[in-house]
Amino acid sequence: MIEPADLRTRGRWPPPEGPRVAIVGSRRPSPYGEAVAEQLAADLARAGVIVVSGLALGIDAAAHRGALVGGGVTVAVMGTGVDMVYPAAHGKLAEEIVAAGGALVSQFPDGTAPRRHNFPARNWTMAALCDAVVVVEAAEGSGALITAEAALELHKEVLAVPGSVFSPLSVGTHQLIRDGAGLVQNARDVLAALGATQEVLDDPLAPPRALGFGPSPGPDGILAHLSDVLPLSAAEIARKLQLPVAEVLGRLTSLELDGAVRRHHDGYVRALRSGPRRA
Amino acid sequence: MLAAADSCTLAGLDVRSVEVQADIAHGQTKFLLVGLAATSVKEARERVRSAIKNSGLEFPGQRLTVNLAPAEVRKEGSRLDLPIAVSIALARAGKMPPPNTAFLGELALDGGVRHVDGVLVAALGLRRLGYERIFVPAADATEAALVDGLVVTPCENLRAVVNHLLGVEAIEPHVSTGAAADLEGEPSEHDLVEVHGQEEGRRALEVAAAGGHHLLLSGPPGAGKTMLARCLPGILPPLELEEALEVAQVRSLLGELPGRHPLAWARPFRAPHHGVSAAGLIGGGSGLAQPGEISRSHHGVLFLDELAEFQAPVLQALRQPLETGRVSITRSGGSVTYPARFTLVAATNPCPCGWAGDPVRSCRCTPGAIATYQRRLSGPLLDRIDLKVGVRRVKLETLASEPTGEGSAPVRERVIAARARQLARQGCLNAQLKPSRLRQLAGLETASRRVLERWAEQRGLTARGFHRAWRVARTSADLDGAEQIGERHILEALGFRLQDVAA
Repeated sequence: MIEPADLRTRGRWPPPEGPRVAIVGSRRPSPYGEAVAEQLAADLARAGVIVVSGLALGIDAAAHRGALVGGGVTVAVMGTGVDMVYPAAHGKLAEEIVAAGGALVSQFPDGTAPRRHNFPARNWTMAALCDAVVVVEAAEGSGALITAEAALELHKEVLAVPGSVFSPLSVGTHQLIRDGAGLVQNARDVLAALGATQEVLDDPLAPPRALGFGPSPGPDGILAHLSDVLPLSAAEIARKLQLPVAEVLGRLTSLELDGAVRRHHDGYVRALRSGPRRA
Repeated sequence: MLAAADSCTLAGLDVRSVEVQADIAHGQTKFLLVGLAATSVKEARERVRSAIKNSGLEFPGQRLTVNLAPAEVRKEGSRLDLPIAVSIALARAGKMPPPNTAFLGELALDGGVRHVDGVLVAALGLRRLGYERIFVPAADATEAALVDGLVVTPCENLRAVVNHLLGVEAIEPHVSTGAAADLEGEPSEHDLVEVHGQEEGRRALEVAAAGGHHLLLSGPPGAGKTMLARCLPGILPPLELEEALEVAQVRSLLGELPGRHPLAWARPFRAPHHGVSAAGLIGGGSGLAQPGEISRSHHGVLFLDELAEFQAPVLQALRQPLETGRVSITRSGGSVTYPARFTLVAATNPCPCGWAGDPVRSCRCTPGAIATYQRRLSGPLLDRIDLKVGVRRVKLETLASEPTGEGSAPVRERVIAARARQLARQGCLNAQLKPSRLRQLAGLETASRRVLERWAEQRGLTARGFHRAWRVARTSADLDGAEQIGERHILEALGFRLQDVAA
C-alpha cells in the first residue's frame, strides 16, 4: 500500500476538501462512453466532487476534460513520472489540470518512462486515493477493471455505467453490475453512493436530468431516427426516411453545425450535450 | 553526292524535326554518324548497313558521312533507322526526297521496317511543323492516320520505300478509316447497378464525376471501395476527340497503342499497386523520363487503393500534378512535361487492421497505431481531396437482395448535363476553378455564405479547404440544375468533408 507521502506531485496537493471519485474506462471508448464520462465528470465537478482519473486516452481524458468544463478540480494519477506526460498528446490537458488547481500525482520517481507493468500498480494507487470508482465502458480484461478490483479490496464504492448490450465495451461494466456494483445513470447516483447527497445536491443538479437525453427530436424527423450510441451512416438514414442521400447529408450537416448531432468516422450519432465539441 | 531525308526526335510530347543528311565522298571506306546521337541511334549504323545490303541495294564502298541536324539536339531511339537508310539510298541515286516529307521507322537486318513507339506523337508534331507526308512502319500506319491532313505511306520494307521514292513502284497511301468509325465505345466493365446500398458513396462518386473532384473512400476491408472506384469511368462522359488524342499520345510513347483501333473513347482507369515507386507513379527512367501512372490516367481515373501503404515521398510527389494537371520531370537527358489531369480516387482503411468503427468486428489496433496511420493520410495530400466519405460494410441481407440502385447510364446522363453547364459557364470543370473565378462565377447568397463560414470557424478550415467545399457546392448545384448555390448545396458539400471530423 502506497502512503500518500510517497507520491511525487505537481500542482496543488493535497487537493481541496471534498469527496474524490475516480472515473475510469476504456482507452478506446465509443462516442457514447466518451460523452457519458465527460458529462458525468462535469456534473460531479459542479457538485464539488474531485474527479480522479489516469490521464490516458479515451474515458480518462474525457473525465478530466469534463471536470475542467464543470469548473472543478481534477487529479491525474499517472503511470509515469510526473515530469513526463503519457501519452504526449495530453501535454496540454495536463497543463490545464494543474492550472485549474488540480494535480498530477505519481508513485513513480521522476523520469520513469511508460512501462506496461507500472500501470496496474498505478490503478491500485488511484483506487486508494479516492472514495469511489465509476467504470465507464470496459471491455473484458480492461485496466479499468483492475481499478475496480482494487477499490473493492480497499473497501471503496464501485459503480458502473451500463452500455449497449451489442458493444464489447459493455462486457466489463455489465459484469461489475451483475456482481453488485452500483448502477450509474447520472451524477446523482454517484453522489447518493457517496452518502453526501443532502448538502451538495441542492443546487447544481436540480432539476435532476438524466444522461443520454439529447435535444428533443423536433419536427425534422432525422433526429428521431438517430441513436446516441450506435453511429448510423447518412445512407442508412436516407433509406429509413426514403429521402435522397444528398438531402439527408445536407440536413445532417446542418444539425451538426447546430451541435445537435455529432459525426464520427463511421456515421452520425445524436449529440448528448448541446454546443459543438471542443476541438 | 549529297541527299537528305527529314525525320524527328521526341522529348516527351515535344517534337523537334531532324534532317538526316548523307554525303558520299571519295576516300577510305568508312561510315561516320555525327550529330549528337545517343547509343541507340549509333547502333543504327549496323542495322542500316545490313538492311541496305539485304534489300538487294548497294551499300556505298566509299567514305559515307551521315549527319543528324540540328547537331545540338540529342537524338534517341531507333526511329531514325529508316531516314538514315533512305538518305543513303537517295544520295547514291543522286535524288532528293519529295518536299515536306518525313520518315520514321526501325530497320530489321533483312530490310523490313519495324514498329517504333510514339508514332502518333511524332505525326501530330510533324503536322504542326508543316509536314504533309509521312512514311511510317506499316504496323503503325493506323496510328499515324489519326492525324488530319497528313498523307501516310505505310512501309513494309526498305526496298519498297526506295522503289517508291525512285519512281519504280508506288506505295498506296494508307486510307484512314476515320476516327469516327469506332466511335461507339465499349460499355464500361463495371456498372453501378452492381453496387448494393452505399448511397453515400454513390452520391460522392456522382459529384466527383460531375465536377472533376478528387475522392477519398474510407472504410473497412470488403466494404466495396474498389468496386465503387471502378464504376467511376463508366459514369464519366466519353473522351472528346481532342482528349482521346492526348490519351493516345501517352500510350503511343509507351508503345501500348493497339494497332487496329488506336483511339479509345473510354476513359483510362489506372490502379497502381501501393509498392509503386515515385518514378513509376509520376514518370521517370534514365535519359529522358517516360510517362508514369499519373500521365497514363490523363483524362481518366487514378485509383490508389490502401493509400496509407504508399511511401510518403511517392504521395508527396503527387501534389504538383494534382494542382496543375501536368508534371515536369528532369532527368539526365533533359526535362519533359507530360499531361496528368486525372481524377484521383483513393481508398483507405480507417486503421491498420481495417476494422475501427465497424459495428460487428472489433479493431485490434492500439490508439497510437491508429493515430500514426491517420497522420500518414493527413496533411497536404488530404487537403487537395475535395470529397471524403466513409464507406460502411453492407449488411448481408442487402447484398443478397435484388439490386435497387440506379445503373450507370442515368447517372452518366446527369453527369454529362452538369459538365455541360460548367463548360458553358466557365470553360472548365468546377474542380479547376481558381478562387478568384470562383468568387466571380459562383457567388454565395448570404445564408449559404454564413453556413460555410460557421463551419470554417468551428472546424478550423484552411483557405484551401474553404474553397474546395465551395467548389463541391457549385457542382452539387450544377447537378441540381440550379443557377445559384443554395444552402442545401453548401450543406451537402460539407457533409463530404469527413476530414474535418475530430477523430
